[in-house]
Amino acid sequence: MKDLFHGEFVRLTAEDPDVRAKIEVHWQRDSEYRRLLDSEPAMVVSEKWLKDWFEKRNEEGFSPNRYVFSIRTLVEEKLIGFFSLWVDLIHSEAWVGIGIGEREFWGKGYGTDMMKLCLRYAFTELNVHRVSLGLHSYNPRALKSYEKAGFQLEGCTRKDTLREGKRTDGFWMGILREEWLAMQNGAKP
Amino acid sequence: MKNILTGELVRLSALDADEIGRTFARWGRDSEFQRLLNSNVARMASAKNAQTWLEKELDEQPVNLHWFGIRKLDDDMLLGDIDLYVYNWSARDAFVGLGIGEREFWGKGYGTDVMKVILRYGFTEVNLKRVTLIVFEYNPRAIRSYEKAGFRHEGRMRGVLNKEGRRWDMLTMGILREEWMEQNK
Ligand SMILES: CC(C)(COP(=O)(O)OP(=O)(O)OC[C@H]1O[C@@H](n2cnc3c(N)ncnc32)[C@H](O)[C@@H]1OP(=O)(O)O)[C@@H](O)C(=O)NCCC(=O)NCCS
Ligand SMILES: CC(C)(COP(=O)(O)OP(=O)(O)OC[C@H]1O[C@@H](n2cnc3c(N)ncnc32)[C@H](O)[C@@H]1OP(=O)(O)O)[C@@H](O)C(=O)NCCC(=O)NCCS
Repeated sequence: MKDLFHGEFVRLTAEDPDVRAKIEVHWQRDSEYRRLLDSEPAMVVSEKWLKDWFEKRNEEGFSPNRYVFSIRTLVEEKLIGFFSLWVDLIHSEAWVGIGIGEREFWGKGYGTDMMKLCLRYAFTELNVHRVSLGLHSYNPRALKSYEKAGFQLEGCTRKDTLREGKRTDGFWMGILREEWLAMQNGAKP
Repeated sequence: MKNILTGELVRLSALDADEIGRTFARWGRDSEFQRLLNSNVARMASAKNAQTWLEKELDEQPVNLHWFGIRKLDDDMLLGDIDLYVYNWSARDAFVGLGIGEREFWGKGYGTDVMKVILRYGFTEVNLKRVTLIVFEYNPRAIRSYEKAGFRHEGRMRGVLNKEGRRWDMLTMGILREEWMEQNK
């Protein structure tokens, strides 16, 4: 069977709340990272607040609709990012959120490797029919990376963001199980 | 100024937990209505369940939520409910959701009328910049009604839903403030 937890450049890990909070507080100070990640007004939060938050998630324990992983590089064992999958159990489909907090690791193939692991996990372990994600139109690096991983652009929420005085669009993408399987058999994305 | 709570066929009304709780319980017995309305598993709620839930929701009245009953102008009958949920204040974008629970009043123009009322409310009272909605591919009546109210198609999530043993797409639509202004000059 295929290794679910190791990719070409990264591996999936679980981190203790204090380790995770320490690095997260550092990532969140980067406002560009915050603005790429989602649409909420960028905020700074304390390490204590984050630690409590991660601890609470840990205490909640296993939940059949939420799968969260931290990411370390294979070479230096450096903690660089995360991804989360939220599953709709009735309709067998999942949403993914992904991010590399260490900005010197952007654009070097780590994110695409993470996404490939995420899709393998979603399609061969969670057995979903489809995976979806959303992104800002001002994030071409993410768009390119998701296309490489096999996602198709499915729609555009026009002018759903106002930042820096500019109204920009939101995109969303999806990949179906049969498309992913075809790629495993050599089909190009 | 215009009366912003009234259209040509219907008006927006306050929700009364007692009345609407009973009515929701009755509408919920119509499984087709439930399947058109949302992707949840169809479930039954008693009038008491619905009332308790509604009382709590109405008590909280968060600033994000603008929720109304839909009543016919001629005889004041309660037809359904409609809500605007502002999910992004910095871009002033809200989701709209509505349902006419009285199925003999489907396809008679009430839905399009109330959508026009809530859009005017959204753009001229809540001062939104955008209104967004989602609708399932097996609901052509709703799709047509939203097109008539001025929404544009923005995309289609392929195969998101599983009902009746097959996959269905979910469509998203949106209308911008400037488009609405242009249509309502
Ligand atoms: C989005 C993210 C996970 C992608 O991972 P990544 O490791 O940076 O992406 P990759 O290096 O695997 O792929 C990026 C691709 O985009 C290209 N690219 C980089 N910058 C680009 C730009 N400004 N415009 C267009 N393409 C660009 C790269 O060349 C590469 O394509 P290639 O392999 O064909 O050359 C990562 O950048 C990230 O986490 N960014 C910050 C947070 C974020 O945006 N999260 C996603 C929210 S939806
Ligand atoms: C969706 C809903 C609000 C629409 O309101 P409505 O009052 O029924 O709609 P209207 O009569 O204003 O407009 C419907 C349009 O669709 C057309 N239509 C009706 N049935 C149709 C069908 N099966 N296929 C295609 N078009 C159809 C009508 O002819 C009309 O268009 P026209 O004026 O060009 O002839 C209402 O039907 C409803 O609440 N349905 C049940 C719950 C639901 O679907 N909620 C929406 C979830 S997104």
